[in-house]
This record gives sequence, structure tokens and C-alpha cells, in this order.
Amino acid sequence: MARVRRVGKRWWVGAVGLLGLCVAAEVQPAYSQQSVAVRAGLVKGPLPAEDPTAAAWATASVSEFPMSPQVHWPVRITDVTAKSVKVRGLHDGTNVAILLEYSDPSEDPDDAAALEFMVGDTKAHFAHGQPMAQVEGGPVNIWYWKNKDGKGSDLGAKGFGTLKPHGHQDVKAKGVYQGGVWKVVFSRPLSTEHVAEDTQFKPGEFGSIAFAVWDGKKTESGQPKEKGSEKAISSWWYFRADAPPDYSPYMYALLAVGLALGFEMALVRRLKKGS
Amino acid sequence: MGGVLIRPIILTVCIYLFLKFIVPILPHSAPLPSSLIFLYLMLVMSGSVLFATLSGESKDAFFQPILRFLTGESGGALSSARYLVLALFPLLVGWQTYGSTASSDAPPGENRTIHPAPPGEYTGLSNPVPKTPENIMYGKGLYASRCAPCHGNFDGKGFAAAGFTPPPANFKDPTTIAMLQESYLFWRIKKGGVGLPVEGMPWKTAMPRWELEMSDEDIWKVIMGEYDGAGQKPRTWDESE
Repeated sequence: MARVRRVGKRWWVGAVGLLGLCVAAEVQPAYSQQSVAVRAGLVKGPLPAEDPTAAAWATASVSEFPMSPQVHWPVRITDVTAKSVKVRGLHDGTNVAILLEYSDPSEDPDDAAALEFMVGDTKAHFAHGQPMAQVEGGPVNIWYWKNKDGKGSDLGAKGFGTLKPHGHQDVKAKGVYQGGVWKVVFSRPLSTEHVAEDTQFKPGEFGSIAFAVWDGKKTESGQPKEKGSEKAISSWWYFRADAPPDYSPYMYALLAVGLALGFEMALVRRLKKGS
Repeated sequence: MGGVLIRPIILTVCIYLFLKFIVPILPHSAPLPSSLIFLYLMLVMSGSVLFATLSGESKDAFFQPILRFLTGESGGALSSARYLVLALFPLLVGWQTYGSTASSDAPPGENRTIHPAPPGEYTGLSNPVPKTPENIMYGKGLYASRCAPCHGNFDGKGFAAAGFTPPPANFKDPTTIAMLQESYLFWRIKKGGVGLPVEGMPWKTAMPRWELEMSDEDIWKVIMGEYDGAGQKPRTWDESE
């Protein structure tokens, strides 16, 4: 009989252990942002806003996004050079820098890259904010860099054929070509006074971002392989400039541990007294 | 006496294992969300407690092992387990508190209506093009040049599909064109991504507005080629209706 009781107790412990394993199985691994969002970490030192090869970029988390040919607009292309882009972001609380990195077999004057953002709270179609049949949608803000220009351009659009430079130019960009890879860094203040035209970054909040790349290699016709709407694109992904560290959740957790421990001790004491 | 407590624990664990690992592999099934599994387990545990406390005797049999465990009267290996539980409980509470107060690293969720309702003028249209082998072949030819770069061999895996999210539709999947009428496809092909209504958010689809490049007749032929190539049939009104 005593043996049976011991076996029963082992079952009890085993069952609790199994339940523990089940709970552990329910604990999901940390959410990976690598394929859906660009996360710009907060740096204390100088921001590598004009140096795509700065060592500081190695500290930024990297996200990779697949690229497709632009097929939405009739002037399209079906095969593009850039199959994916690697993206990193950093900010210092005042300015934000975004590094775009992609393979390109040759350096050409017409090589170009761009970032696209929604403006304000109004959703926009990723294709240049093209108005929808039943919904107008909002404008988009495009940061554009072209190798031969050697600088960034701040553009806006609300539908195909409406792309134009903003009256103000807040965006800086610099590209470096090394070993078959373009590294292009874009930078701008997190917030600007042109809220109707520029995307505004609020640390800690997610916004939308899309990418475009043009391979400017000349074809036999003398024209760049990719130009205008013939380009590699992505649809919308997410971007977030990290908020400053917030330690309050640790404080709340510590308080909760203390309360739970107190409750537990009081309960056991009461039970012992009762028994 | 401990058996009264062991049975509900084993039952709960078995139900959990069934919901977590067996249900997803059943035919026409899918993995259950954690919240639903949690709800089912709560129901099982509530039922077990109700069952175990129907009489005073069974109530004592149910709670006594718990009380003995918590007060350390069980002794033996359970004594070590008691310290473990007493240490883990506050840590679990702390972990949950942290999880509910720390800002999330996950981007906001998006509600997406996969097949939003078409405008009235595109409801119930029938394909005016005769379903002849020639028309089907012509439609497949148009499909190969216009649609295949993204939609591939009717499986949504075209060479240009990688960068698009949501991915191009897989026409061989029984939940796409097989459950839609031809008129619905006509609307989606003709008006493309920008033809989507408000509920068709988040407006990421790259589907071209083919009315700019194809006649209505060609679009109907593409639809025929699509169904034929994917081995699907369009949904139709029941003839008895």
C-alpha cells in the first residue's frame, strides 16, 4: 500500500512537471522583427549620418526585405537587379539615419535608391500614394538618392505622375560603392515643421516604410536598365525609432513579485494556523 | 486521496496535448490560437473543481493534498517541489506584470479582408465569352505574359513575387478562385489593387489595374485560362435557385 502511495506521489510530481513543460511550450520565442520592421536604435555618440561605412552601423540591428519588379504601373519591368535590401537605422533623439545596402554588379552614374514613407495618420497606397477607387488615401514622402547627383532629395507624391521635389529639402544622402555592394545612408531630423509634406518620426511609434532601387547600368539602347517606374520595389513594411529606455516596467515587476511573495507567505501562515 | 487531485491534472495535461499537437494534424484542421487553448483549459479546470467539490467529502479529498502541499506537511520529494512552487509563483507574477507593462516590440496588427465585397455592378456577371478550347488557350497565353511573373504557374510563386506582401494569390489553393464567381475575378483584374474598397486595407497589393491594358473580352478569357490552368471551377449560383 505504501508503495502504491509513493508511486502516486511520483505521478503527482510528474504531472506537475509535465504541466510545467506545457506552459514552457506555450512561451513563444521573442518576436523577430527582422523581416517586418526596421528598428532604429538610439545612439549617444555622433550619428553616422554621412558615412555609410562607419563602424557605428555594425551596432545597428539589420533587417532584410525582398524586392520585386514594379508591376503595378503599366510602364513596368519584370526582372530587376536588386533582389533584396538590407536596412539599418540609428537615431540620436534629434536626427535619424537609415542605411540601405544592396548588391549591384556595377557602379553606374544612374544607380539610385529611395525610401518611401506615409505622411501623417492617413494610410496611403505604397505605389506613390496612388488614390484608390473608393478611398483617396494620403500622400507619401520619398527620400531619393542618385549616384551622379551625390545628394539626397526630399520628394512628395500623391498618385502616379505627381512626384515632385518639396520646396524645402531636409534630406541628406550619401552612397558608397564597395565590392559590388551599394551602401546608401539617408538622414533627416526626426521631426520637421512641414507636417503636411514630411513624415514625422515619434520615437517608440511604428510607421510605414517602403524601398526602391534602380540599377542604372546602360543597356545597348544607351538607356539605363532601370529608370522611372521600371525599378525594384517593396511594399509597405514598418519602421520605428526606438524610444529612450524605460525602466518603469522593471519597477512594476519588482513590486508585483514583492506583493505576490507577501500574499504567499500570509496564505501559508494562515493555512498552517488553520491546520 | 491524492488521486482525486491527480486525475484532473492528468486530464488537463492530456486535453492540452490534444489541443496543441493532435488537433492541428486532423484533416481540415489548423493550429488553435493560444488564447483559445487557454480558454478550453480554464473550462476543463473549472469543471474539474466543480466536480471535485460536489460533496463535502470529495471537497476535502480534493483540497487536502493542496493544503498539505502548501503547508509543507507532505514531506519527501514534494517538500522540494513546494519550495520550487513558492519561489516560481512570485516570479511568474513579476514576469506577467513586466509583459503587460513593457512596450511591445511587435508592429501594430493589421486587419485584412481577403475577399472584400465587390461593387454592385460587378456582382453576378456571367462570362460572355464562349468557353472554347481556343478562347481558353488564348486566355492562358495572356496569363503567361501578364500574370505569370507574379502568380507563377497558377501557384502564386512567380519569379517577381518575392517582394510583395501580401503575396500574389495562389489559384490552386481551394480558398481563392475556387470559392469566387467569375464576376469577382473580373472586378479584381479590371480594377486591380487601387480598386479595393476601404475594407480591403492595408492597400499593399501590387495588382495592376488591367483595364488600362486589356479589353474586357481579354480579361474574361484570362479568367477562363486561369480556372483551367489551376484545375479549379468558378463558384456559380445553384441552378435550382
